[in-house]
Amino acid sequence: MAANVTPITVPEPPRELRRIPLVSNYHSFGWISDRVAGLTEGKTPVWWWILFVPSVSLLGLLLFMLSYQISTGVGVWGNMHPVMWGWDIINFVWWIGIGHAGTLISAILFLLRQKWRTAVNRAAEAMTIFAVMCAGIYPALHVGRMWYDWWLFPIPNTYTMWPQFRSPLMWDVFAVSTYFTVSLLFWYMGLIPDLAVLRDRSKTKVRQFMYGLFSLGWTGSNRHWSNYEKAYLLLAGLSTPLVLSVHSIVSLDFAVSQLPGWHTTIFPPYFVAGAIFSGFGMVLTLLIPIRSIFKLQDLITMRHIDIMCKVTLATGTIVGYAYAMEFFIAWYSGNPSERFHFINRALGPYWWGWMLMVGCNVVVPQLFWFKWFRQNLVAVFILSIVVNVGMWFERFVIIVIGLHRDFLPSSWGYFSPSIVDMLTYLGTFGLFFTMFLLFLRFLPMIAISEVKGVIPQADPHHPMGGAKVHDVIHEKE
Amino acid sequence: MKSQASHSPLDLSKYRKVPAILMAVGGILAGLGFLVNPQQFAFSWLLAFMFFLSLGLGALFLVMVHHLFDAAWSVPIRRISEQLSTILFPTMALLFIPIALLAPTVYPWMREVHPELDHALHAKHPLFTMQGFYIASAACFLIWWWLSSNLRGWSLKQDTTGGALPTYKLRFYSCVGIVLFAVSLSLGAVMWMKALMHEWFSTMYGVYYFAGSVWMTLATVYVITMILDRQKVLSAVIHANQYYYIGSLLFAFTVFYSYITFSQYFIIWNANLPEETFWYLAREKGTWFYVGLVIIFGHFFIPFLGLLRIDLKSVFPYMLGVCIWAWLMHFVDMSFNIMPILHPDGFVLHWMDLGCWAFMAGVVATVFIRKFAAHPPYPLKDPRLSEAMGLYHDMPDSLAGEHVSHEAGRQGGKS
Amino acid sequence: MNSSSKSYGIIARFNNTASLLHAAEKVRDAGFRKWDVFTPFPVHGMDQAMGLKNSKVGWFTFVGGVTGYTTGMLMIWWMNAIDYPLVIGGKPMFSPFFAFPPSYELTILFGAFGSLFGMMFLNRLPRLHHPLLKHGQFAQVTHDAFFIVIECSDPKYSETETRKLLEQTGTPHIEMVEE
Repeated sequence: MAANVTPITVPEPPRELRRIPLVSNYHSFGWISDRVAGLTEGKTPVWWWILFVPSVSLLGLLLFMLSYQISTGVGVWGNMHPVMWGWDIINFVWWIGIGHAGTLISAILFLLRQKWRTAVNRAAEAMTIFAVMCAGIYPALHVGRMWYDWWLFPIPNTYTMWPQFRSPLMWDVFAVSTYFTVSLLFWYMGLIPDLAVLRDRSKTKVRQFMYGLFSLGWTGSNRHWSNYEKAYLLLAGLSTPLVLSVHSIVSLDFAVSQLPGWHTTIFPPYFVAGAIFSGFGMVLTLLIPIRSIFKLQDLITMRHIDIMCKVTLATGTIVGYAYAMEFFIAWYSGNPSERFHFINRALGPYWWGWMLMVGCNVVVPQLFWFKWFRQNLVAVFILSIVVNVGMWFERFVIIVIGLHRDFLPSSWGYFSPSIVDMLTYLGTFGLFFTMFLLFLRFLPMIAISEVKGVIPQADPHHPMGGAKVHDVIHEKE
Repeated sequence: MKSQASHSPLDLSKYRKVPAILMAVGGILAGLGFLVNPQQFAFSWLLAFMFFLSLGLGALFLVMVHHLFDAAWSVPIRRISEQLSTILFPTMALLFIPIALLAPTVYPWMREVHPELDHALHAKHPLFTMQGFYIASAACFLIWWWLSSNLRGWSLKQDTTGGALPTYKLRFYSCVGIVLFAVSLSLGAVMWMKALMHEWFSTMYGVYYFAGSVWMTLATVYVITMILDRQKVLSAVIHANQYYYIGSLLFAFTVFYSYITFSQYFIIWNANLPEETFWYLAREKGTWFYVGLVIIFGHFFIPFLGLLRIDLKSVFPYMLGVCIWAWLMHFVDMSFNIMPILHPDGFVLHWMDLGCWAFMAGVVATVFIRKFAAHPPYPLKDPRLSEAMGLYHDMPDSLAGEHVSHEAGRQGGKS
Repeated sequence: MNSSSKSYGIIARFNNTASLLHAAEKVRDAGFRKWDVFTPFPVHGMDQAMGLKNSKVGWFTFVGGVTGYTTGMLMIWWMNAIDYPLVIGGKPMFSPFFAFPPSYELTILFGAFGSLFGMMFLNRLPRLHHPLLKHGQFAQVTHDAFFIVIECSDPKYSETETRKLLEQTGTPHIEMVEE
């Protein structure tokens, strides 16, 4: 190539625009293994128990609430005519939305060659799986008699009936179960080389056996890597339309109806953007404390936080576009029911819910335009929680405000949740954090082999790939 | 790309007159059409206008999104989008004049004698009045002018000055711009296209026009890059991965467009409300039904399957075919949106459609080529250019300059 | 080691990706078939350096996806239009529109199974035992070491010539691995 092209000069980037390396302080390959795998080794730290015990207690609370609900009936919830979908569906959509950031990071950013994802994808994918588990509880239970849940699946039964696929509920069944399965496959496949890392470091027989079993005899052979990388790419390519479809299908639960505020064509992309928005909120909420506790500042750098803040900002703004478009088209359509619904959203008895939704999802994230906020961990942490509150209220606005005043004023009502609603919701956090803490303790929370692959030494054509830099230059405390 | 580096530069000088010929022939046909049948002329003109507007808007989006993502790979091809986006003003604004003048023959709502008796129209007061229409249209063009000229201007400034300031300025305009862009594009799509059936409403419509626009712009940028590379204009800075990435984006937008289109249709189909379904019913009449099928297969299945393979995304003759196909499909798609109002019984490919399209193609091509030739073909001093060229990879020193690669080495070794 | 045990192959260690890549190119050019490179992470460009063809996993995915989509469409058509027809909401008994979401999900589900199991099948995983896993230094492969292994069963293998070839690549360490 060189012979035919006229030499040109290319300027060096100005100092302030240099790319910040993905792993700070030029650590070696071995350092990455030691740092990440080390987190799962040794004595269990005290803080872990301090968090684990309350989480398990909340999980117990969840199981108690579910047993109570199953043995008594859905009447223990606050759902009451005309609001027949209440916290169950709000929490279902909220949890499953949170899961979406994990798949976005693991699949879409992989396709977009965003190398920074390697530091956060493992934890985010774990978050996805646990969030989908929490979400899955609700649709299974809200049918009332959950021992008939198997009717949702196309399994022959004695009544010779089949599920009817014109119902969005059936689409949900397929979407959520596929989402859970594929996320698990993708996560597990990413884990295989890292489980081999743990296997090769194991000191005890139990660890050696368990990690050895699940790493499937991985040797790091390049013939294996070749197939592995292709399969990973394909799974990323499959997960991308999957993650878009899951929340789109969730949105269709609402949008294919004829209810003002539910039936609107922008719902699929708007729900997907909102899901990613809330998911990134949760990723930030989880990772900011973790990186301090585990001292992972060199792996999950401020650049990572900065980028995630920007994604949150972008998706929050897209959601804002959808809110605005809904209002505009309600006015534009001239449909009195549509217009009434949107006025009722903003000025009706649940005006506070709408204010919280717009405030938390559209207004407050605009602070992320400013670098100061993106670089301030306390601010980012608070904003990430605000995002999750806002997204919870988005579902509240759609479901409760959508239902409480329908076409017939005589059937209007006001929804209030019951204590069972609240404790069940609290209990799902128990499930989520129990699973997440177990994950932190027993599995590598950062994709070791992937991070190794993005540091300059990994590139055989990079100056640093030829001359290996020897170990830690200095470790940041 | 490497294989053809040994070829001599592509010579297109014999085609130099094509834009002028298009302009002349198209202009004559369009002018004749205006005299023969002003209404058909106005619709044909609108069709061509919306088609080429897509190009400007898609290019504007690509430029802004490049800055927002702080992307590197697209630096060498960014100038193409920058120049393309500036056709929005004044070229497209001038081409809008016939629509502005003939608006009442195009938009049925403007012809209503008693607008207060039409609820769907009355509800849209004051946006759907003549003043509202002109103010909204002017606002769109002003926004696009401000954005496209600044985004190009600061980029050109960086060619001489270098440094970080232009990059920061470009990011600022992109940040503000993307919000304004979303609003103005939606407004444009509503006022100029959706308003053809003003009773109909869909929150997705802006996104729908956006998806199709970016799709056809990506195809256009691919072809222009390919030609410039073969003419040895960009070959010093272009790698094989630029083609691969544009190809992948084209693939992604193929899927995105289908997702949007399917969702819009599916939600309306399922809810089955007469106040929404009539838009689609009008497009199932006569041969329009088959046009709908052509869009499903031609706008989605064919490019989807055609772009699925990785290696094919870099095969030029093949991709040229795909890109021409994308233009054709976007034309059909715009036609599907606009023409059923004039020809409710079925699809008609009128000679005026071709005339107006040819005229605008000639104008846009002439303007673009003139602008592109007047400035450096890629951002010479963009801070991400070295990264886009893969300077740490297989870049010989004669190209990169000793300076840069050594700097990189030193930077790497430092703590 | 026991002198009666059979040799599995010859192993050479490398300390960085650049030297590994060049060594792999040399081994490829020497025409070996039964050899492999072992790395803690996939090294960019190694497939070409080893002369590997494009992976075949895509076919498994494709077949899985097509099976999933067909299964979904046929299942819904048979269940809702043939075996148990029921008028719901004035909608047709079967339409590709409402059958699309579940079929689409099945496409992805089966495609994903195809990718993972295709990968495992092509890699002959899981395997409970591998001669290299017994080798002392080899455990470092998941840490920071790079290896090239040429198996004794390769037709071109010769105890002295192969060792010489590897020595020329500048490896700091060569050893034999027992079966």
